[in-house]
Amino acid sequence: MLVKKPINILIAEDDDDDKLLIIKAFQKTLPKENVTCVSDGEALLQYLNQVAPFDQVEKFPIPDIILLDLNMPKKDGRTALAEIKSHENFKKIPVIIFTTSNLKDDIEITYKMGSNSFITKPGSFEGLVKVAKEIENYWSKTVMLPV
Amino acid sequence: MRNKFPNTGNSQLFESSNSSINRIKLYAIISLFLIIVGSGISYWTSERIEYYTSALMETQDIIQRTSELYSSILERETNIRGFVLTGDEKFLTNYRQSLIDAELLLNSLKELKENNPYQLQNLEELEDLIKIRVDTFELTIKYYQQNGSLDGFVSPARVSSALDGYRSIKEVVKIINDEENRVFVDRNRSLLNNINALPFIVGIISLISISVGFITLFSIFHYNKVQKLASKRIKNYQEKLRDQLYLLDDSNKELEQFAYVASHDLQEPLRKITAFSDLLKEQYAEILEGEGELYLSRMTVAANRMRRLITDLLEYSRAGRTNSEEEKEIDLNAVSESVLDDLEIAILEKKAKVEINKLPVVLGKETEFRQVFQNLISNALKFSKPGVEPEIKISCEQANDNEIKKFSQLDPEIDYYKIEIQDNGIGFDSNYSDKIFAIFQRLHGKEAFEGTGIGLSISKKIIEKYDGAIYATSKPGDGSKFIILLPVLKS
Repeated sequence: MLVKKPINILIAEDDDDDKLLIIKAFQKTLPKENVTCVSDGEALLQYLNQVAPFDQVEKFPIPDIILLDLNMPKKDGRTALAEIKSHENFKKIPVIIFTTSNLKDDIEITYKMGSNSFITKPGSFEGLVKVAKEIENYWSKTVMLPV
Repeated sequence: MRNKFPNTGNSQLFESSNSSINRIKLYAIISLFLIIVGSGISYWTSERIEYYTSALMETQDIIQRTSELYSSILERETNIRGFVLTGDEKFLTNYRQSLIDAELLLNSLKELKENNPYQLQNLEELEDLIKIRVDTFELTIKYYQQNGSLDGFVSPARVSSALDGYRSIKEVVKIINDEENRVFVDRNRSLLNNINALPFIVGIISLISISVGFITLFSIFHYNKVQKLASKRIKNYQEKLRDQLYLLDDSNKELEQFAYVASHDLQEPLRKITAFSDLLKEQYAEILEGEGELYLSRMTVAANRMRRLITDLLEYSRAGRTNSEEEKEIDLNAVSESVLDDLEIAILEKKAKVEINKLPVVLGKETEFRQVFQNLISNALKFSKPGVEPEIKISCEQANDNEIKKFSQLDPEIDYYKIEIQDNGIGFDSNYSDKIFAIFQRLHGKEAFEGTGIGLSISKKIIEKYDGAIYATSKPGDGSKFIILLPVLKS
């Protein structure tokens, strides 16, 4: 049986604590180098477009999935999502909205804009680990992703 | 803090404006009355003037005719004399004509004096005297025609009676004329009095009417002034009200902002406290010495409870707020049945018996009434006596007047439903029957019964939003009864 290469996850999250917790949670199932973090929507787009400081392809590979927080400084999650989904090369990358919000409007609008999942951040670290496992399991083992 | 609108000034204003319009009405009525009285008096006076004028003319007429009557006797005398002296029959013809004329004159005078018995008596006396004279004339003519002369006819007795007759006639004519003159003077005086009084009466009435007119005019000015003042005040109140509305709107927006802050920003650090304490526990639990692990788990429990409190507070602040859900007619039977479906597991666990009688249809939002019934029924299940199967009875009847009057927020003019939710649970001291509806108020320890104490305050908020009331009665160990009063839906 072919052992699958672990997926690359790019996380856009402005909060340092959350960033730390999310990385910790994902590191339970994924190698450290497969989880990358940027601090806002603008950095996310720079990363995808491989603009400095994200211009080393080996160090900053194109991600398999993106975890996107909605409320961020500079460029918020909604704008970043709109830009990704209107870009010819990036729109194929699945985007998972990962936020504290559970507002009906946020859920409806982001799905309409082409996001692939909407997950409200769990309250406990245990919950976060569980979500990280499910994401990893679903996107790397259950579904087929574009190459 | 609530600003009360001043209302005393307003009612005063309306009273004064009312009294001045009443005054204007009164003045108008007085003016109208005076004009009618004035016209009546003027008409009456002019009628009297007309009456006295015609009466004066009548008096003059009578004096003239009486004189004519007197001269007609003299005329006959003259004709007789002419006839006797000359024997010419022409004198006799004139005499006869004069006789007819006198008769006519006398009749017309009697007719005119019909209503004056004194003058009528005088006229009759005059008539008699004339008749005596005429009889003498007839005798004279007869004698002359038979004898051709008056020899032997004229005697001293006849001459003296003729002279007496003339004197008497003259006297009676004078009496009649004197009487007529007296009447004439009287009537003339009355006529003058009336003519003089007319401008005086008209003048006084005009003066009063003009005064009343001025007063009316003044009152109208006053009324207008008061009216202007009133509309200015109303405008001020409207402006104040609008300002208050803006303030209210602002404070509502602030509240929404607060709700957002509470839900998002306050929860954020809390979530991290929980997450990092979890992480700490997972990675370093074995290194922690002594009661370190216990402290850590206490921290997590406290943080979780705080999150629950924040969520509940948020729910309370959202309860009864406007949202997209439409108000419609809600069948409370359907609502309570679906709540029972949701609570099915708890009901089975506790072997509870729930009896729901006929409940009314009310106006409101389904989710809100669901929340109320969910809170009340789950409380009844939660606070059941250990070892006793819970019995919950939900029923409805019409509220009586005394029950409605107990609550100042209810309108005694309309009908209310009285919905009762009764249980056989642990009950509570009736001293606490108000306290249990306050936010985060609990009668039991957290260890005995879980929950933050938000359910009843949310229920109260919702029921009061629909112009109703909710209260509870109970005795410790004797079950409790929650009563909801809601307005009867108008068909």
